[in-house]
Amino acid sequence: MKIPYSDLRVKPDAAFPNRTSLDRPIVALLLNRGERNVIAYATVDSGADNCVFPASIGIALGVDIPNPRSSLFSGSRDERQIAYYEEIQATILPMESAEIGADQEPISFPLYAGFCETLEHVGMGLLGQEGFFSRFAVNFFHAQSYFEIL
Amino acid sequence: MTPIDLVSVLEDAPMGEWLALSFKRDRIVAHAPNLIDAQKAAIEAGEPMPIMMKVPPPYPQII
Repeated sequence: MKIPYSDLRVKPDAAFPNRTSLDRPIVALLLNRGERNVIAYATVDSGADNCVFPASIGIALGVDIPNPRSSLFSGSRDERQIAYYEEIQATILPMESAEIGADQEPISFPLYAGFCETLEHVGMGLLGQEGFFSRFAVNFFHAQSYFEIL
Repeated sequence: MTPIDLVSVLEDAPMGEWLALSFKRDRIVAHAPNLIDAQKAAIEAGEPMPIMMKVPPPYPQII
């Protein structure tokens, strides 16, 4: 499946004074648990060890937060964060664009996903090594503004 | 390939709220402080498959 990068606004700063947007490899995911479902965005992030989402998405899927399946992790700061894991179903939805037709098939897979409060402000998930890159090959073509999930 | 433009569609989006985008990503159908309310409002407004997200923070870079 070929997916265009998504363009997000970014505030210029001292290091990047002329940058007003950045391109990020984002997928639209249909997340299911039983009868409940949410479509959410997630960034394909090879630097993340696991697949994690904002707690709100877990709550909408009926995931108990907290639950006994907790796991500690950290980001660039030396600060403990906690995610609560649950088995869900994920489907990568094709994202049409001018250059990509509507004929790509969705890709469904079981996902042991974490849900955490600390991703709330980001408002989208991260697809990392265990559960995503362990299952799919991903080619990034940043210069051409697309990536491919195989 | 042309990137998906999330800049324009999020231009006037309220910071800190959950947004329900149309599946075509061309407009915000609903928004609310929590995801469940925003999703419900979007479905009631006739968008059966809203994409749920928040306005990215002003410094959205992920390291």
